[in-house]
Amino acid sequence: MAPLSDAELPLVLQPVRSVGRSVLDMLQTAGRVALFGVRGVRAMLAPPWFPGQLGRQLMSVGYFSLPVVGLTAVFTGAALALNIYTGGGRFNAEQIMPQIVALGITRELGPVLAALMLAGRVSAAMAAEIGAMRATEQIDALHTLSTDPYRYLIAPRLLATVIVMPLLVVVADIIGIAGGWVVATKTLDFNGAVYVKNTWDFLQNWDVESGLIKAAVFGFLVALMGCYHGYHSSGGARGVGRATTHAVVSAAILIFAADYLLTAAFTHR
Amino acid sequence: MSEPPKDAEAPKLEWRNIRKAFEGKVVLADLDLQVTPGRSLVIIGGSGQGKSVTIKIAAGLMSADAGQMLVDGQDLFALPPKARRGALAQMGMLFQGGALFDSLTVWENVAFRLINADKVARKEAKTRAVGALERVRLGASVADLYPSELSGGMQKRVALARAVVANPQVIFFDEPTTGLDPITSRAINTLITEQVKGLGCTAVTITHDLDSARSVADEIAMLNDGVIVWRGPAADIDRSGNPYVDQFVHGRADGPIKPAI
Amino acid sequence: MAKEQWAEMGVGAVVIAAAAGFLAYSLTVGGKGAGHGYPVQAKFGQVGSLAPGAVVSVAGVKVGTVSSIALDPKTFLAVVKLDMDAKTPLPADSTAKITSDGLLGGQHIVIEPGGSADNLKAGSEIENTQGAVDLFGLVGQFLRPSAPPAAGAAPAPSGASPSSAPPEPARGGTGA
Repeated sequence: MAPLSDAELPLVLQPVRSVGRSVLDMLQTAGRVALFGVRGVRAMLAPPWFPGQLGRQLMSVGYFSLPVVGLTAVFTGAALALNIYTGGGRFNAEQIMPQIVALGITRELGPVLAALMLAGRVSAAMAAEIGAMRATEQIDALHTLSTDPYRYLIAPRLLATVIVMPLLVVVADIIGIAGGWVVATKTLDFNGAVYVKNTWDFLQNWDVESGLIKAAVFGFLVALMGCYHGYHSSGGARGVGRATTHAVVSAAILIFAADYLLTAAFTHR
Repeated sequence: MSEPPKDAEAPKLEWRNIRKAFEGKVVLADLDLQVTPGRSLVIIGGSGQGKSVTIKIAAGLMSADAGQMLVDGQDLFALPPKARRGALAQMGMLFQGGALFDSLTVWENVAFRLINADKVARKEAKTRAVGALERVRLGASVADLYPSELSGGMQKRVALARAVVANPQVIFFDEPTTGLDPITSRAINTLITEQVKGLGCTAVTITHDLDSARSVADEIAMLNDGVIVWRGPAADIDRSGNPYVDQFVHGRADGPIKPAI
Repeated sequence: MAKEQWAEMGVGAVVIAAAAGFLAYSLTVGGKGAGHGYPVQAKFGQVGSLAPGAVVSVAGVKVGTVSSIALDPKTFLAVVKLDMDAKTPLPADSTAKITSDGLLGGQHIVIEPGGSADNLKAGSEIENTQGAVDLFGLVGQFLRPSAPPAAGAAPAPSGASPSSAPPEPARGGTGA
């Protein structure tokens, strides 16, 4: 039977159809992304590897993200400290501020904010770069030069981001706590030594570790979105622009979704 | 499709009943075409007639919806991955825009395949790359520049050097002269002919530039609406007696071909 | 390399230096690095809302943390593992009590030092314990005295010194 066109369909059923279609589209996209991720991981696990590419990505994804991650962390830590001080004040519990700042930064804000910054910086850059390579046939050129783009382009980016994210989050954790410390000691009359002592006494290994696990997962998502949207971009410069937007938006949404799922999994552990 | 005549040499490349459609629009409809080893075939035709798709399928960059793509008599689509990679490894391609990697220097571009796929040591790869650049009349001085520092014609030459550096048996040329001035175009055509003859390789060129077609081709085939409408020796292009070819050669607006606007 | 990239390199280095500096400072001031604690355990009939990470204190000063809580499947007592600060040895006959910060506050463990000459050793058990008080159970009992005894209270009543808020009848942990 020939499918009915939209015009032939009874009016009331048209919204139903369009909802159904968009759900199907979404599932299809999810499937394609998953497949892309699996191919990327498989390329990561088997030779040939391209250490030069990996090194280049480690540098650009990791080292050059330090300033933006550091700045985000220090201001977040400072603002968090002020807010918790205010909130704690309502229970006469201002003194618990260092502990809550440390917990908030290590478990949640460090990984999430670093990942969001990388979604803006790295996802976008990857989507734009790979998208431009697609538009100028450089990806086809890789094929004709007997080089698998998944190994040469995708795998190094995925691996570099997964390696680098936890390291960035360690830095973000320290700097975030330092941000809280600065506010606490300079404006709220906390004793600096007591502040760090309380933080150290309170923090447990798992607080930091769970944040680092999150970071690695977020890193994978950030790189996956950048690579996927760039690799599958089409339509010249406009296509590259679209790919960049999609990469950033979808990376951000996936980060929040994964954050909730991981936090829930860790809580019921 | 019947077997090719017995006295002819087995074709290097053969498109057999290749069919390809994009979102319902048929681009190639049962395309049949062969190229004999060592010959240079030029496919001409208007924009959007499936020329690009034809060579992309042969170069393994695209799959066909139906039909067989034979390389040395073996169907590219049916080969196991490793054999497929082997079949594709003997091919080189010159892309329309050059498709040079802009993060790499000129010599790294030319030597890309040697370094990354063939695991040649960097030093030796550089020597061979500089040699290939000489073959397209580029001095060693450009070797350490980046592609963005070169003119369009020079980029094309670098791309040509990259396509020939590993001595491929088949080379595809995608619109080699598009976007170049007539003088540079002629120089590129000369270089292409030199390289193809020098390597003794099979060449498939797609173009809508007749000058280029005349100077590069042993044989010319005309593609229209996804089928080959004429094929013959390059010398016969002006007296083909084929209405499609005549219209194309003379650039007339009236005839069997509808302008693509 | 471009000039701009050198600038970025520099800023990256500053960020790392700042992080390393603060880490070094915090380790020297309040680090938990070297003086690692010793583990002890205590069994309670009722731990209430005590959770891993809760503070263990003596006279209000922190001397350790709760590292884990598990149920002993034979005795149905809660086995609480404590990570004690190595700098503060405690007498072997000390008493561990679970108390709360306020009416509904978080629960923690208070240790009342005993008089023994021997100290608690790593891996040993604090024998004298007093579990958490089920506040709502008590209130319920108060309002409806005929109701069956509140669930969760530990088996034996103890004569330990009356602790925090709740009035009689305090039902505590196992007396030694």
